[in-house]
Amino acid sequence: MQPQSATLEQYVQELATQFVLGGDQEEGPAAIAQMLSTLSRISETARSAGSQAVVEVSGQLARKLQSANGGATPRKEVQSGIEALQRAIASAASPTPAASGLSSLAQDMELVSDFIVEAREHLNNVETQLLAIEQDPSQTAPPQSLFRSFHTIKGLAGFLEFHEVQEVCHDVETLLDRARNNELEITSEITDLLLESLDYLTREIGRIENGALGKGTAAPANPAALLEKVRAVLEGRAVSEPAESAPVPMPEPQPASQAELPPQVQPAAPAPEVKKSAVEVPASASSVAASPASSPTAAATNGANGQQQVRADRLVKVDTGKLDYLVDMVGELVVAQSLIRHDPAFKSTTDMRLQKNLVQLGRITDEVQRASMAMRMVPIGQLFQKMDRLIRDLSRKSGKKIELETHGRDIEMDRNMVEELGDPLMHMVRNAADHGIETAEERAVSGKPPVARVRLRAQHQAGQILITISDDGRGINRQKIIEKAIRMGLLESGGSLTDNEVFHLIFEPGFSTADKVTDLSGRGVGMDVVKKQIHKLRGRIEIASCPGQGTDFMMKLPLTLAIIDGLIVKVGDERFIVPLASVREVLQPREGMITTMENRAEVAVVREHLFPIVRLHQRFDVKPKSTNLMDGLLMLLETHGRTYSLAVDELIGKQEVVIKTLGETFRDVPGVAGGAILGDGRVGLILDVDGLYKGSRNA
Amino acid sequence: MSNAVMQTEHSKTTAAQAGKYLVFQLAQEEFAIGVLSVREIIRTQDITRVPHTPPHMKGVINLRGKVIPVMDLRTKLGFPETEYDQRTCVIIVEILTEARSSLFMGLIVDGVAEVLNLAQADIQDVPDFGSTSPSPYLLGVAKTKGGIRIMLDINKVLSGHEVGGLQDILEASAETAKHSGTGDGVLA
Repeated sequence: MQPQSATLEQYVQELATQFVLGGDQEEGPAAIAQMLSTLSRISETARSAGSQAVVEVSGQLARKLQSANGGATPRKEVQSGIEALQRAIASAASPTPAASGLSSLAQDMELVSDFIVEAREHLNNVETQLLAIEQDPSQTAPPQSLFRSFHTIKGLAGFLEFHEVQEVCHDVETLLDRARNNELEITSEITDLLLESLDYLTREIGRIENGALGKGTAAPANPAALLEKVRAVLEGRAVSEPAESAPVPMPEPQPASQAELPPQVQPAAPAPEVKKSAVEVPASASSVAASPASSPTAAATNGANGQQQVRADRLVKVDTGKLDYLVDMVGELVVAQSLIRHDPAFKSTTDMRLQKNLVQLGRITDEVQRASMAMRMVPIGQLFQKMDRLIRDLSRKSGKKIELETHGRDIEMDRNMVEELGDPLMHMVRNAADHGIETAEERAVSGKPPVARVRLRAQHQAGQILITISDDGRGINRQKIIEKAIRMGLLESGGSLTDNEVFHLIFEPGFSTADKVTDLSGRGVGMDVVKKQIHKLRGRIEIASCPGQGTDFMMKLPLTLAIIDGLIVKVGDERFIVPLASVREVLQPREGMITTMENRAEVAVVREHLFPIVRLHQRFDVKPKSTNLMDGLLMLLETHGRTYSLAVDELIGKQEVVIKTLGETFRDVPGVAGGAILGDGRVGLILDVDGLYKGSRNA
Repeated sequence: MSNAVMQTEHSKTTAAQAGKYLVFQLAQEEFAIGVLSVREIIRTQDITRVPHTPPHMKGVINLRGKVIPVMDLRTKLGFPETEYDQRTCVIIVEILTEARSSLFMGLIVDGVAEVLNLAQADIQDVPDFGSTSPSPYLLGVAKTKGGIRIMLDINKVLSGHEVGGLQDILEASAETAKHSGTGDGVLA
């Protein structure tokens, strides 16, 4: 076996070389012919070595190449084909003859990651349904879809040999079957049990995912205790352990590091290389904004259940990698189109028809760009749904009666945004329930209704999204925060601070005014993380609070992470993009406007206000057109409530740009937030307004 | 994206192995890197400089909508800088970082020569230079009829030393920036 696999590896290297070299020059057919002949040698060698998988994969690749013969073969496809081939050879050569055909199925990454995606979807559905049943006890029979979700997971898990998952699903399914046939009433104990099973499955899926990503191979958690409870119910015994009549499923998944997150949070973002996550794209992508086939009122308050079912038929699943690729390519299309439009030859033409056609092309390009961006948008409702569950658990655990009210579930946001918002929102809701809301006794004393209310609201506001988390609890105690801040050395006295400034102190690291540390919150970790995360999403957070009446946290976020409006400025020969959202004003400096302090720090005086000046050419070490500030422009930029002025040479214009990361190599370059492709195809750097300002303090 | 490629590449970092190598020139010398980490070869393009980065990091380019960092391999390996000309190329490579994510990088070289099939017999260890220790980026030396080719460990050139070192500097400066920032901010 060994010599053959060495030969095979050599052939694949050859193939990769042909691919790399053939790609850049336009000699498509010749390169393809070469690759085909290499492929046939591979498949012969593999056949004689008896590795059927390799034969198959090389056959697939050959067909792909042949079908594209003459035309351009998508490089990506060929590349992924070659990679698949390498994998097949590597697995054929790896010394695991003991591995049976069965276990190789469970190791098929593609199947496993499909399973993970599908199982998660079903588990989400289960959660929604269960919470709906709990809210509305009159609904006696469990819906068919609940039953089907468990059934599907069971089938898939069995196929992939995740026995524990299969077993739990099987028993739960039996239980639901009984309920469906009216042999069993769904009591709140049973709902608890079902939720507990749900948590178990969610954790197991997380574990399987970690395993698939190569991040440790924990053994499956033992479901025996859970199974015992389910079987007890099935056999008509009362659930044992009466002391734990409400078995709140809150076991910590991974003791130390994740202790801050409740268990239903999926382990952080999956690593990109096994990215199998998919976005659901409405089949009619062009009209996304208008498509959700539901009346806003129905969607606004209770359950997106019906809505989900209606929409399910019209959805296709798309790998996010493909979407990103599409967005990239559309971006290139826009650049190419604008290159043509600004071509001198075209500008001097008087051919009306040509001009008209190009305008039409421009219009279509814009539309395609908009549509491709819209595909990434998902309703925020799925995020709110997680909060439903959180509030339920918190309410049980703390003994406070809390109701969650949500508005604007159908507001759409960028999918990444919704994902990134999960943790901060969870922290804030937990905070509201734990710190904000009083105990039942306290509420009674102050004459409030016994059931407390946490309200989540999403709404559009001036091209941004506003998410408000309000509670009707005790409000923030200004004095207590000031005292604590003085004790921590953050303040000397708090007399002159506005409420807003005081409230923002709770976002300082290590800040917590909770009298006692509960396992829900109060450890002082959290709010600073929330603030950091919101800033990372280029959002802002504001607090309003009224003692005795409650607190509102307002998060203002951009619709998407991917696009910003920017002002393009020039310094020397280089162009930079300043996010428009932080620009307050652009002005031409006049004599007498600029003064120096202590002969080094420069300050601009605008309408009696002083703004420190940061010279972009100094910060970035660029040769400017002129070092005299009078020859350039000053931009007043606002960051974290402070405003400073940035000196640049000139303003070129305003452009909507797609934000791209500069990658790991240039991660955290001070003053640079990312890059974007400008109209001429070059990369422009997007300025990090806050980082620029802070950086100036180092100098 | 290309797990399999990268894993095999990784396991090869300990010693140079036989296989296909892309040969390119820097000044008078010829270098070779494993062909499996090479994604494509393009002409030089307009490079956007990124501030606060080491001199061999030239900046970023736009590769069909993707922003890719480029490194001047001459500067990186201690050769004197030259003007870019007709023969100057950018070799786009992809490696797997320690965090198991793929990292794209463009390497600016004087010119690409050929793809060479190196047998194990052609490859020798890096000679012992006595007092001066050899560069950590070298895998070995290949001696064929065409001459001597220095085999580079592309993973080490891009990851290990470089990315780590850069990040340490950046983190340190970000740290100080944060400290001086927050303290004043609260009192302001």
